[in-house]
Amino acid sequence: MTEAGPPQSVSLTIDGTPVTVPAGTLVVEAAKTVDTDVPVYCYHPKLGPAGLCRICLVEIERLPKLQIACNTPVAEGMVVHTHGQKVEDGRRAVMEFLLLNHPLDCPICDKGGECDLQDFSMAYGQGASRLADAKASKPKALDLGPTIVLDDERCIVCQRCTRFDDIITRERSLVVKDRGQRDVIATASGEPYRSNFSGNVTELCPVGALTSKTYRFKSRPWDNHRTATTCTQCSVGCQLFVDERYGTIARTMSVPSDDAISDGWLCDRGRYNIGFYADARRITAPLLRRGEQYVQIGWDDAVEAWAAGLRDALGAAGPQAVGVLGGGRLLNEEIVLLVALMQELGVTNLDWRAGRQRQATPGRYAGTYAELEAAQLILAVGRPPSQTAPVLDLRIRKAVSQRGARYVTYGGHAAGSFVGVTPLRSADDVENVLSGVERVAVVWDGIDLELGARLASAIDGWVARGVSVTTYLSGEANNARGAEALGMVPRSGGLPFTGMLDAAQNGRLRSLSIFGANPVLHHPLGGASVANALERIPFLVVSELFLTETAQRAHLILPARTGFEKAGHVINLAGDVLPVHQAHAAPPGTLADGDMLVALAAELAAEVPGPEDVLARATAALPAATHGFGDAAYSEGVTASKSDGMAAGKPGGGGLRIAVGSDIFAGGGTIWFDETLAELRPDPAATLSPATAARLDVHIGDRLDLLSSSGDDSLQGLVVRIDAGAPDDVVAVIDGLPEAPANSFADGDNVVLGARRAADALEPALVLP
Amino acid sequence: MQSFGGAVMALYRGFATTLQFAFQKKPTVQYPSVRKQHAPRFHGLHELRRYADGKERCIGCELCAIACPANAITVIGAENAPDDRRSPGERFAGRYEIDELRCIFCGLCEEACPTDAIVLTPRFEMADYRRGSFIYSKDRLLVPPDAGVGAPPDERPGGIPADLGWVTEQKSTVDIARGYDATYNGAKLKDEHKGLTLQ
Amino acid sequence: MPVVNVLTDGIGEVNLRDIDVYRNRGGYAQWQRALTELQPENIAQMTSDSGLRGRGGAGFPTGRKWSFLPKNGRPRYLVCNCDEAEPGTFKDHMLLLETPHQVLEGILLGAYAIGSHHAFMYIRGEFEQGYRVFMEALAQARAAGFVGQNVFGTDYGIEVTVHRGAGAYICGEETALLNSLEGKRGEPRLKPPFPAVKGLYGEPTVVNNVETLATLPHILKNGPQWFASVGPPRSPGFKIVSVSGHVRRPGNYEVPLGTPLRELLEIAGGPREGRTIVAVQPGGGSSACLFAEDLDLPYDFDTMAQHGTMLGSGAIVFFDETTNFVEAALALVRFFAHESCGQCTPCREGGHWLEVTLNRILSGGGLDSDIDLLLSVSHQLTGINLCPLGDSIEPFLASVVRRFEPQFRGYVRRPESILVSA
Repeated sequence: MTEAGPPQSVSLTIDGTPVTVPAGTLVVEAAKTVDTDVPVYCYHPKLGPAGLCRICLVEIERLPKLQIACNTPVAEGMVVHTHGQKVEDGRRAVMEFLLLNHPLDCPICDKGGECDLQDFSMAYGQGASRLADAKASKPKALDLGPTIVLDDERCIVCQRCTRFDDIITRERSLVVKDRGQRDVIATASGEPYRSNFSGNVTELCPVGALTSKTYRFKSRPWDNHRTATTCTQCSVGCQLFVDERYGTIARTMSVPSDDAISDGWLCDRGRYNIGFYADARRITAPLLRRGEQYVQIGWDDAVEAWAAGLRDALGAAGPQAVGVLGGGRLLNEEIVLLVALMQELGVTNLDWRAGRQRQATPGRYAGTYAELEAAQLILAVGRPPSQTAPVLDLRIRKAVSQRGARYVTYGGHAAGSFVGVTPLRSADDVENVLSGVERVAVVWDGIDLELGARLASAIDGWVARGVSVTTYLSGEANNARGAEALGMVPRSGGLPFTGMLDAAQNGRLRSLSIFGANPVLHHPLGGASVANALERIPFLVVSELFLTETAQRAHLILPARTGFEKAGHVINLAGDVLPVHQAHAAPPGTLADGDMLVALAAELAAEVPGPEDVLARATAALPAATHGFGDAAYSEGVTASKSDGMAAGKPGGGGLRIAVGSDIFAGGGTIWFDETLAELRPDPAATLSPATAARLDVHIGDRLDLLSSSGDDSLQGLVVRIDAGAPDDVVAVIDGLPEAPANSFADGDNVVLGARRAADALEPALVLP
Repeated sequence: MQSFGGAVMALYRGFATTLQFAFQKKPTVQYPSVRKQHAPRFHGLHELRRYADGKERCIGCELCAIACPANAITVIGAENAPDDRRSPGERFAGRYEIDELRCIFCGLCEEACPTDAIVLTPRFEMADYRRGSFIYSKDRLLVPPDAGVGAPPDERPGGIPADLGWVTEQKSTVDIARGYDATYNGAKLKDEHKGLTLQ
Repeated sequence: MPVVNVLTDGIGEVNLRDIDVYRNRGGYAQWQRALTELQPENIAQMTSDSGLRGRGGAGFPTGRKWSFLPKNGRPRYLVCNCDEAEPGTFKDHMLLLETPHQVLEGILLGAYAIGSHHAFMYIRGEFEQGYRVFMEALAQARAAGFVGQNVFGTDYGIEVTVHRGAGAYICGEETALLNSLEGKRGEPRLKPPFPAVKGLYGEPTVVNNVETLATLPHILKNGPQWFASVGPPRSPGFKIVSVSGHVRRPGNYEVPLGTPLRELLEIAGGPREGRTIVAVQPGGGSSACLFAEDLDLPYDFDTMAQHGTMLGSGAIVFFDETTNFVEAALALVRFFAHESCGQCTPCREGGHWLEVTLNRILSGGGLDSDIDLLLSVSHQLTGINLCPLGDSIEPFLASVVRRFEPQFRGYVRRPESILVSA
């Protein structure tokens, strides 16, 4: 596409007001610049015109028929009337048709109160229906998938949902089935509608046809108390509205104007994973270990015990015997306090890296989301962001499908992005696809530092050639970038977390405080060895929401608050400092980590910065980075993952190799303790190609165990799945599942088959009479 | 200046009026042994009605709550289970509470109700010693399945049954002694009436 | 009798499905001449000069349609629309069955004229036999070297792809047809962009009717003046009309445009014994009725349009005085409601509404107000739809409701009687 010079502007008159807009603007958009109201159902600025609902009729002078404003581009000298007898008559006619078979169950409809059909029927409809027959009866409360319920009677077939699934997500599973009066929204395959972005269709639906299972009949729009905040589930930093009612979070909604970060969409993890804050298993009082039991204690005692433990450790072995892990799930203010307090105590063993991710700062070529969208080539290295930063992946899909970008991956698994993607096998391939490309966006998972270092030198080469490169690091924890930027890293000779674990094994670490991290489930050293090391620490403090695998090893558990229950700032992967607001009251007995730290500092009589100072540091713009991917400064002397091994297609010694992937609904924290989403959590599964399954003689539904080649680690009871698209001689498993934690397995490791149970040896699910 | 005779006349007229009423039929009655018949549409205590098949009319739409000028109504909807349908549609009132102390008995909830579920009955005897007991929830508002289904209160032959909605029954079971704590006067009453039981 | 044999020449006499028979009668000669002697622009010019108007229904001048193609160097496609589904039309199926080579030659000429190297034949799903016949003809033409690369030794190559629809009326609408061809749901596209700019697979595309394309060899053979000299100046040429209804010999008849309707009635054998024609639907199910007094009108595009109806696809249905127009209206309304793709609101809901209302009238539950309701609803669903299907409901319904109101009134009960029974 060639740009035809600067965009030309067109002057027209809308309702008597002269307007000048760029050429090609649609009348419906031009009308937004004047004080008028053109109703729309099927039109959506991000989905474009469809011309289906016919409600946006306007009168254009010199045209005999009413025109739809949503698909009429402006023209020079055009005179548009958005009101008047003719227009009102046309809209009344369309409104009558829309309401003809629409059930009048507004009182029980979740959309009631925020429904476009209600609003426009008040404005343009007539009081009574002329339909003398019964309204068409259609199925209600159809289960469309694990998250969405369809009420077919209410559907006005605007096709916003199907177009969202086609244009935005590219997944194309939602379609209109049948035709005419009998048409119904369904999945093309007939399978349940599963998507990482399914919740967006409930917001797009202009009526109450598509509703969220988690919000069904919970509240009414006018009851909700709305707070705008930042999603703290992943590192994208989507803006979202939290709707609270009577102290419970009723739902979350996207912020349509948030073009810069979320583009107006939310993933289902961010949207639906809200039930955990009220889970019965939440810790709501400090717990102190007494032998094999925990006893509830008050906060004063807890802080005293914490301070005493720290003092003991400091006194006995000095600051090098004290360590702190965490920050990826803390707010900036809390990180500032934590770092300042530890500096005051002389503690240098600080780290945020509780999982596989080793680096969070993309370095000197860091780019914005807008630059990612404008790239001609998008290169995802390591784990592709579709499961770790879902809304970022939507940007990639948009760049590919709407702006003609090319998407390539290197050293990872299937991209799962529903757009054309080319997996590259070698560095030469990467150089080949780069020829002639001017703007490149590189997304790296931050896991394999050695791979990152090679990538960084390649990027330097491209930049030297005049290629414009922007880099992104899609990581695991939501505020990893904030933790790294605000100093939650080993300081002046301090130990990284792996070093602390080593010191713990040798009895040199006497106290460790963990804030919102679960290394037993996520650290690449593996659950057994991390747990073993943690158990050797004389005083382990964990600040957590739930009794996680790590918290179970603690001597003191501090009940923390969720991202909905505290206020502060976070830094997303693009480097934006984003505000987090308190959306509902925290359960009594819990404290925000920042408040715990203030109390601890007071107990230790340590000097920490005051509120203004903390806020200034927490919201300061990020300093310009000088390093790149895989910098030596991040090295810990531990090879965390060999994700490159997968891509190079190296022979795995004839054996079976493991591919460890992510899933947005996997994890041992907020998702594990959210019973409303139990259906969305992935099963521990082992996915094989048909040929590999045949070679190993395993079948769908079998259970099998996988052992690492050393035999030390195992994954037990994996359900066998067969995927025709999977590579041969590779078994794919999901990371972060508490039932089968795969954190000790690295991509490309050789594994051997352990015990297996054939499906027919299991308890039968159904026996024919 | 008024003459003396005029003053006597005025006195006479005044006393004559008073005397006149002394021999007329008295409007006051010996409540509670004698009770007056209210106007049929008297605005008193609420009730939640049922359909003739026993299903609750209330669908938990919260329109009464938003219409209420005194913010006295709280509704939280819930979904009908397929095997346990409370109301005809998909939704029913999981929680329905009216704070009768806040209520100004204006009847706007009746007006707002799309299913004629909430109605005001002529019952007015709600007196209690506890503030909390004036928050009526579904257990006291919903008519029993076998009583008065179908017709609204002012159209029921024989008027409102005294125990409709289990109001009195519920009251008889509350621990009245605890209620005295609610106010200063209540606390004093508690001292004076130790051992009091209702009825 | 003005019956002519141009497109229908030889039908019923010889086996035109055989390529040799067709060639012996001059078949593919124009294709050879076009490739060896003529430039694409010559054919386009001749088509423009002939004044040929599309035979599919809209009657748009074919030469002008071709001229809308942008000259941007993108690949272009010609699509032959053989989804003939308009109620009362059966001419394309006959051409496909009886003279498949003539249709194919027309497609080839049309494709060459617009500079396309890939033509598509979209055949309605129900035309099982027509599909087989056409495939056989295509195989014969391919074997003879008329389709493929380097046709007649020139460097011109053409490929013809045959696609079968799944039997939806809406796929006769050109953008729905393109969607269906692409494997998508057959529903009309939003215009603009028009197919000439962004059609099949996003490339410039022309969609022409079978009969339109089959006429091309004859225009080339006899010259545009020959074609333009027949019939009225603004709708010249011959047309195959499908006559049905209350006539003695229903069938396809090829006549010059401008032939009076009464003459067409006579050609089809006239009305049945002792009956008189009271109404005629001149252009398929989507056209308004003309009545006994209009039978002397000449049958051409402009005259029909001036009288509030249209020539459409040339399907003429005659109704005599025994017709129950309530049932006739229901039959057509039910057809359109059933075939609505359901995309846009007025067509989806309005068609359904009219169908249930007519059903109720016929079953004896009609109200006095229903007559006005039929007129009002059919009127208000017209002119605001995405495609012409929604606008097809009003013409017939409104014309017969107005003309034969007593018939409709006869079914309608007085409101008082409704009240009593309720």
